[in-house]
Amino acid sequence: MVPSSIKIRTGNQMIAEGALHAGCQFFAGYPITPASGVYKAMIEQLPQRNGVAISAPDEISALAYCVGASGRGVKAMTASSGPGWSLMIETVQYALMTELPVVIALVQRLGPSTGGATQNGQADILFTEFCTSGGYTIPIFAPSTPQECYEVATIAFHWAEQLRTPVIILSDKEVGMMSEDVDFALLKGVPPSERALFRGGNGAQHLTYDFEELSDVPLFAPVGGADKVTMTGSAHDKKGTLQKNSKETIDVLVHLQAKIDARKEAMSIVRLDDAGPADTLLISFGITARTAREAVRRARQDGKKVRNANVISLFPVPEQALIAAAAGVRRVVIAEENMTGQYRSVLRSLFPQTEVVGVNTVGTMITPNDILNALV
Amino acid sequence: MEATLPRTTFTKENAAFPFCKGCGHHHYVKHLDEAFVSLQLDPKQVCIVSDIGCIGILDSLFAEPHTFHTTHGRSTAFATGIALADGILHDAKLKTVVVIGDGGATIGLLHLVNAALMNIDVTVVLANNFLYGMTGGQHSQFSPLEFVTPTTPAGNIVPPMDICSIMKSCGATYIRQASATDKNLGTIIGEAIAHPGFAIVEVLELCTEWATPFNKIDGKMLTGSVHHNDSGGVPERKDFSSLYKEKVLGAPKRPSDDTIVPHYTSPLRGSRRIVLAGTAGEKVQLASFLYMKSAIASGLHATQKNDNPVTQGSGFSLSELCVSSDDILYTGIDRPDAVIIASADGLKEVRANGTLARCTPDSIVVAEQTLPEFECAGKVSRLPLRAVCTGSRAALSALAALNVAKGWVSQDALWEMIDGKFKEKSAAFHRDIEALMPFIKI
Repeated sequence: MVPSSIKIRTGNQMIAEGALHAGCQFFAGYPITPASGVYKAMIEQLPQRNGVAISAPDEISALAYCVGASGRGVKAMTASSGPGWSLMIETVQYALMTELPVVIALVQRLGPSTGGATQNGQADILFTEFCTSGGYTIPIFAPSTPQECYEVATIAFHWAEQLRTPVIILSDKEVGMMSEDVDFALLKGVPPSERALFRGGNGAQHLTYDFEELSDVPLFAPVGGADKVTMTGSAHDKKGTLQKNSKETIDVLVHLQAKIDARKEAMSIVRLDDAGPADTLLISFGITARTAREAVRRARQDGKKVRNANVISLFPVPEQALIAAAAGVRRVVIAEENMTGQYRSVLRSLFPQTEVVGVNTVGTMITPNDILNALV
Repeated sequence: MEATLPRTTFTKENAAFPFCKGCGHHHYVKHLDEAFVSLQLDPKQVCIVSDIGCIGILDSLFAEPHTFHTTHGRSTAFATGIALADGILHDAKLKTVVVIGDGGATIGLLHLVNAALMNIDVTVVLANNFLYGMTGGQHSQFSPLEFVTPTTPAGNIVPPMDICSIMKSCGATYIRQASATDKNLGTIIGEAIAHPGFAIVEVLELCTEWATPFNKIDGKMLTGSVHHNDSGGVPERKDFSSLYKEKVLGAPKRPSDDTIVPHYTSPLRGSRRIVLAGTAGEKVQLASFLYMKSAIASGLHATQKNDNPVTQGSGFSLSELCVSSDDILYTGIDRPDAVIIASADGLKEVRANGTLARCTPDSIVVAEQTLPEFECAGKVSRLPLRAVCTGSRAALSALAALNVAKGWVSQDALWEMIDGKFKEKSAAFHRDIEALMPFIKI
């Protein structure tokens, strides 16, 4: 028999696989549909690799356990959905402010409030991104298949560790809970990435939040190590001392955004299917990106000229890639499973001279026909 | 060899305490420092995790220990994460000490409860001054009855929380209460830090800004109110990290191999989309899974998604399958190629979710014979599913019979999956199919 590497996996399970590949050593979870599959997979697999996967009594604790573990120097992840994310927002801001890497996998369901646990939604785009008091960019990556769940998990850990910041995998119920054949031999992912460590020497003194250029990422030292660490969620100087509005403190606040902005292009991932001159640029993400691929296949059979952009890196917005993708088109169609066109509201200003049209549904999947009807 | 002099303090040299005159926090810091000194800890193996409130700013007084100044009430949760990572993934040498007030203990009570239940190796030193001092002296859930504060001008009418009793009921293995002026407080905190597992020390204090001006309260009264002065017989037990290493990481590793080898073939070109509907507990989703496995073993691609009511073990159970010779892009089912309805619950659901309405004249519908009439554009076959197969085999036998008729996936592959799953009980499925085939009109 020919050896095979094909397994049946859900998107949730593949987020766990990607996290393990990235070197995740700590997971704390709290049950919630449709994200519980990540939790279950980590409980099953992490101890097999001598890592820690534990249950928390709520989502606040789950994320706080992860951030604490990250402070001790280990790669950490949790997973939830809209209602749990509501509880995590305090702590994700703490991780951002203390520059502690952590990955949060959010599997969207129908909102608002407890909404529909087993119904899909892509309506937490703005809720997830714009959750910080102070207004900071949180990198968000959105997978559309189990294979991309794996890849995106490795990318999320890479940027979390490289930037010392929380990074979000924004999946959805359809991607997360659907099973599919996955050929493990064909998986793509970035290699495991380690945060840059402070190594001392030459009498160098460790400052917890040290940088020269605003966009530099401070070298990390773990609590429990030889160099004193001063973590704080309050406004602070480079040393971590509470300050009100000294120039250095304002610099630290600006630096938190500058380190993201400086790597905006490096983080950009847009999967472009470009078949030459096009009348329409179709933009989508998550489960809708799969539907978009089917719609484009049918549209081209009918002789329509469509360019298809599957956005993986939702934030920072991959501006250059999307502006380039729209070259020469008469219409930009943005398909997403939410009522008001949330990502469309973010992208609209990129296409000032072009008609921008939304394809939106609530509580039901967008179909290929819905998209076909919106194309030029 | 020159002996290293014992460390006499962990605080900064000439540190100016930022607290009000007479505030109990002065005593608290002094006793915490005494505890560190008495244990002669390596300061780099100490992490002070502080909360919000006046007591939370004490981290700036300590020169060398690591400090984690956190959000309100969450200090114990962050400390739990630090202690787990240190205790399980590192060398378990770090002493993690939570510095929290009565306000933080209230808003973060669950974190204290869970840390005590888990018996995490963290020491909580709770500064209870009965109010929120930093924000203007508002009363807290720890304020005594009759306590006068800006938010209880007529005196507090709600009895205070007894944190030590709560911690005791959560199985905390070290619980002490003492007034801030107690000469033994440093020793008590030292014991708590040295204690393996969760330890809590409640320190009763006076807020000279907001408590003493409006209430008849003094140090003697605090000392007199101390009533938790031993652990009350809570049995010692292993801390969570030790148990996790022993029971979870120490368990035999279970290598698993669930790869599927596509060693069968299928004549199918394009895709087929199938909806299975039945009753929870009657193996509807398992049927779908086995069909998916056999499709993949036949060299096809396949997707499966399941649905059920909020309570997973009652009502309908539904599964949507797509098998295809090409990559599956769109995963929805706009026009079902086949619908299997194994029970009344299943019929109700395919009506409600629009599956029946989406059927075309090409759709094959296999339905339990005894179900009431329903409207559907597809070709309906009525089968005695429940009479022949009973509920628990109805969905899978119907699907297998459909496949015998259509051959979308390799029937050999499907039998391999069914036989592999049900072992000696799989003969019943073979008998079911023989009995059902005459009823299928395709």
